[in-house]
Amino acid sequence: MKKLLAMVLAMTMVMALAACGGNNNSTPSTQDTPQQTETQTPEAPSEPAGGGELTLWTYPIGDWGKEEQVKAITDAFTADTGISVKVEYLAYADGDDKVNSAITANSAPDLIMEGPERLVTNWGDKGYLVDLSDMFDETDKTEINAAAMTACTHSNGEVYEYPLVVTAHCMAVNLDAFKEAGADQYLDLATRTWTTEDFIKAVDALYAHFNAPVGAVFCKGQGGDQGTRALVNNMYGGTFTTAAHDQYTWDDPLNVKALEQLKGMPGIAFDASLEGGDEIKVFYQGILKMAFCWNIAQQLNPNQADTGAGLTASGEEIAFMAFPSESGAPQLCGGIWGFGIFDNGDQTKIDNAKTFIKWMCDSEHTVDAVKTANYFAARSAAEGTDLSAIWADNDIMNDYQVLMPYLGDYYQVTKGWAGARTEWWTMLQKVGEGADIAETVATYAANANAAAAG
Amino acid sequence: MAKQSHPTMSRALQRRENIAGYLFLLPSLIFFVGFVVIPMLICIITSLTNANMHDQGLFGSFIGLTNFIKLLSDETFLEALKNTFIIVIVSVPAVCAFSLWVSSAIYKLSGPVLSAFRCIFYLPVVTGSVAVTVVWKWMYDNYTGIFNHVLKGAGLIEQNINWLGDSKYALWCIILILFTTSVGQPIVLYVSALGNVDQTLIEAAEVDGASSFQVFWKVKWAQMMPTTLYILVITTINSFQCFALIQLLTKGGAGTNTVMYHIYWTAFKLTEQAGHFGYANAMGMILAIFIGLLSALQFKLAKEK
Repeated sequence: MKKLLAMVLAMTMVMALAACGGNNNSTPSTQDTPQQTETQTPEAPSEPAGGGELTLWTYPIGDWGKEEQVKAITDAFTADTGISVKVEYLAYADGDDKVNSAITANSAPDLIMEGPERLVTNWGDKGYLVDLSDMFDETDKTEINAAAMTACTHSNGEVYEYPLVVTAHCMAVNLDAFKEAGADQYLDLATRTWTTEDFIKAVDALYAHFNAPVGAVFCKGQGGDQGTRALVNNMYGGTFTTAAHDQYTWDDPLNVKALEQLKGMPGIAFDASLEGGDEIKVFYQGILKMAFCWNIAQQLNPNQADTGAGLTASGEEIAFMAFPSESGAPQLCGGIWGFGIFDNGDQTKIDNAKTFIKWMCDSEHTVDAVKTANYFAARSAAEGTDLSAIWADNDIMNDYQVLMPYLGDYYQVTKGWAGARTEWWTMLQKVGEGADIAETVATYAANANAAAAG
Repeated sequence: MAKQSHPTMSRALQRRENIAGYLFLLPSLIFFVGFVVIPMLICIITSLTNANMHDQGLFGSFIGLTNFIKLLSDETFLEALKNTFIIVIVSVPAVCAFSLWVSSAIYKLSGPVLSAFRCIFYLPVVTGSVAVTVVWKWMYDNYTGIFNHVLKGAGLIEQNINWLGDSKYALWCIILILFTTSVGQPIVLYVSALGNVDQTLIEAAEVDGASSFQVFWKVKWAQMMPTTLYILVITTINSFQCFALIQLLTKGGAGTNTVMYHIYWTAFKLTEQAGHFGYANAMGMILAIFIGLLSALQFKLAKEK
């Protein structure tokens, strides 16, 4: 009897564990969703069923990374459409890990907010995202920034990101420190541009005055690497990829020249203990006198410390600047952020997600969605609402628009992007350690191209 | 008759006890099989495939030993392997020697004082590794860290040292943190082992004229061998699997990449590369083989001793 009892107990425990394990598979999978698709909605209607729930995962894109602001706008969306939105906030440090794990476990969110390098080049390219082409009519195509539209479109013609906001990444200088060292003479604060020659003179003047490195080519990891790429590319006009975005070209002799110049400057440190975020912090503390990882979000709220727009921790004035170039006409890296829809096989959710995107990116509510991001609208108008002057009441945003004409090629859609970024910062570390620059640059650019080729 | 029935009863009793024992064991066994044995088998199998996150199914296509052959010429992996061995070779003897020295010095202290020392040395072990690492990161900071501040104040350096950004220092900084977080458990174990050494043997040796060193080496050390073996194996495995410190401090840069970190980076960051799961698992297999070999060697040497 006891033996029987023991066996029953053992079986119960095994079954219980199996049952628990079974719960993990209760999330929609690609295998069981086609049935739902067939029975619920055979084609993609634009009208939602009037209810339902969506999951949105968002990277920290301006205030789209802050719960309070996002809740306000998603609550408004829910009140308007009856579709509730459950938001998860990702960090750049581990956001990709979470998304990749979710994709592997067939539990990806319905909506994701990020840029073309992830949505188009990575997840879209691998077939995880829904083609949004049917959301763009001729009016949309004329209203949306052409460069943004191109970046959001895969080479196969499918659109994997609906752009909401754009900005230009730039650098920043500690204006008070520049004045103290007599280096402010090299800055053109009207156009926010300067030449490479003036940049070199300014760094030398600052170093002579402060007797310590004043800028850091940060290379601990990939965070904020658009800054180091833009610095190196702009100094002598080098390129990062081909115009067709099919090959990495950072072994361009002009980039080698720029790296040799930077390495030879005592005022510039190649710092493998800093990433972009760390560099911003050190700049905000007033230790570094310039930051290469900057944009309008930082200008509005340096180091996200809420201690005043355009000011360091000790109250020194921060001026945003374009990267130095020989001609004084820089090519800035852009940020293009918007929404993509994961194809989880549930047509109703896809329709609801499209309703969400339409509401945020192409309606009278777009003003609020853009303002939540603290960037610039990716389109001139949305369903009759003019978006070109939505920042007229904000001096800093207005001033910053002087940089927007300098937006350069959005090359972050080149294949093998994640691997190329790793090769870039590893290369900078080697250069910083004193390796032969031309040889090192050639090696790591070749690695990036080899990885991209598969 | 009674003599014949007694063994039968014992066997039944034994069987019942066995069943009860196995039932108690079952929950742990299920978790062990589910979360250790099966993942290990999956790791072994996928290391022979081009498994990746983009193809359907757990396993990719079978590619034999291609991943392992590729690893032999992967400079990043070989550098990570070298760094891992440096950490193990430096850290394990240092941790063992230091904990033995500290334990020898404190095990005879009175109760409260001994407890205080145990707490001090064990504190980094029970403190969250992230908290410990963040504090060390502040101290190592290139611009505002206390180490640079003190060294500059003492006139020992003119320019700040980039402790975590310079490959001359970064790995040693990591080893130092690993050391401080690793000595706590061995000290507690050694204190306990020293307290359990048979006093009669020590007294006999002293009566026979043995010096303090001879008493330690011939009597105490011999009796502590099982503890030493455990400490060696655990410290070796922990050192081989050094990950959190690298992730939080250097992200594998400045010459601090380790095999564990490289596995993570390949599996979860370079997801666009072909066969990244299989390749990362092949690295895991290599690491497991090295850990197994070194642990076996330690067991063998300890047995001979």
